[in-house]
Amino acid sequence: MAAATPGVNALTIAGASVPGRLHPVELRLTPGSLVGLIGPNGSGKSTLLQVAAGLLPAGPGQVAWQGRPLADIPVVERGRQTAWVPQEAAFEFGFSVRSVVGQGRFAHGDDGRGVDEALRRLDLLGLADRPVNRLSGGERHRVLLARALATAAPLQLWDEPLAALDPRHALEVLVLAEELKRAGHALLLSLHDLRLAHCLDRVVVMQAGRLRAYGPPDEVLTPELLREVFGVRARVAPGLTIELP
Amino acid sequence: MKPTWVVRAALPLALLLLALLVVLSLGAGDLPLGPARLWAGLCQRDELAATILWQVRLPRLCVAMLIGAALGASGLVMQAYFRNGLASPGLLGVSSGGAAGAVVAIGLGWSTVSLCVLPAAAIVGAFFATAAVLVLARRGASTERLLLAGVALNAMLGAVTSYVLSNFTLTYERNAQIVFWLLGGLEDRTWEHALMAAAVIPCAALLWPLGRPMDLLSLGADEAQSLGVDVRALRRRLLALSTVMTALATAVGGTVGFVGLVVPHVLRLLVGPEHRRLVPLSLVGGAGFVLACDLLGRAAGGLRLGIVTALVGGPYFLWLLRRQA
Repeated sequence: MAAATPGVNALTIAGASVPGRLHPVELRLTPGSLVGLIGPNGSGKSTLLQVAAGLLPAGPGQVAWQGRPLADIPVVERGRQTAWVPQEAAFEFGFSVRSVVGQGRFAHGDDGRGVDEALRRLDLLGLADRPVNRLSGGERHRVLLARALATAAPLQLWDEPLAALDPRHALEVLVLAEELKRAGHALLLSLHDLRLAHCLDRVVVMQAGRLRAYGPPDEVLTPELLREVFGVRARVAPGLTIELP
Repeated sequence: MKPTWVVRAALPLALLLLALLVVLSLGAGDLPLGPARLWAGLCQRDELAATILWQVRLPRLCVAMLIGAALGASGLVMQAYFRNGLASPGLLGVSSGGAAGAVVAIGLGWSTVSLCVLPAAAIVGAFFATAAVLVLARRGASTERLLLAGVALNAMLGAVTSYVLSNFTLTYERNAQIVFWLLGGLEDRTWEHALMAAAVIPCAALLWPLGRPMDLLSLGADEAQSLGVDVRALRRRLLALSTVMTALATAVGGTVGFVGLVVPHVLRLLVGPEHRRLVPLSLVGGAGFVLACDLLGRAAGGLRLGIVTALVGGPYFLWLLRRQA
């Protein structure tokens, strides 16, 4: 399962488990990788991402970023090393879009660097001064992604970043993820769209709190596996294809 | 987006308004004092004015401002903590907890032992209430849950107070003391009371630098944690500060409702949700709001502070609830 690249893994999950939600899991991500996390509802994708982000205790196991055990990394430094995007984007208070994205720089002493670029990449410049609690669901998700981008963290953990986005913005986020990967970031993102999962280098398939399969999508996402894990019949057929102009 | 001049001028304007209220508050009363006589009194050059100011109006003024600042800031902290604009010390029952603690102390006759007993008892009571709210809000702090938890807590803590009033063998004076104190007021407040509430000042100083991490916390605990905020430490500090400040306000002023709800809310409407601005503003704004309510009550022929804040804050709260629904 481990990638053969020499050097330090961006993310190492060794034997981490959460009672009732996640069985012991082994997962390694190298720098410069873009990995999709797929599985039915309740299969443990969000839990795994939260464990990887250090938001849930890893039980008897261990989580390490860039080879350093999480316990050795001070909280502020964690904010510089890893960005986590939650599945739900709910905002009680009306902070402006720009100020929420600016929170991504909290661990960098609120220097504001890269905020404008993050706004531009997520197509938020026109909304920068709007209060976040008045945005649509998809727009709020883009705000969270822009905040994650602004952290410039080498490890990016995104929980269903595409689910609420319209087709164009979803594709743009995938392009962005690809660029981050090429710049040496490690990305782990959960998603439900199996066709989009095919655009990624590798996928992790989860089922009932366990890692079921790992590898390139063409090899992993076989009709047999999809039938077994998702209970759907898959076949390749000509249909609608969308891409950025 | 708020116009930037409003945001920038907010704190200086609030301070100016507070200064004006201070002068009005010192000048108003049975013996109105003009600015010249006020100054003479403060400098001890006018004996009558000096007596009135130094013995009556100044301690009352200090107590009022400390209560207001404490409740305004507590409300702000609780709203950020529970990520709910309707959270406040009064509605969540923390004030009632402080009141119950203080009433027990008065009822047992402890309050005469030392100056510190009453505030200490109020702090203990308030912490009980805070702990109860935390347990109830663990599964989510929706408006309904918080308000219902508050209703239940307020009722239970009210029962404690009633029990002390009805079942303890109390002297008539002590009973009267409890009742008047529960109503929330600033009558007959002395320098002793101001001294009791002075611990609000270090609390405010400790709260001051927490504005920025409060921004992140108010948008989600997990998000804040992943962005580099030590959420557990921050939450502990915020809860301790807001509980102690609420308890101190209750210990010297009785139950004064709605300050912690109205003040942060109005300020957020004016300058936006950034806590670096809201922390100083709600301290100053709370002090100003309580002074203004006290002035109103005095102008209306001696309405107690708790009555005025409820008359002003109650309708505002109902309006908020309607808007939120």
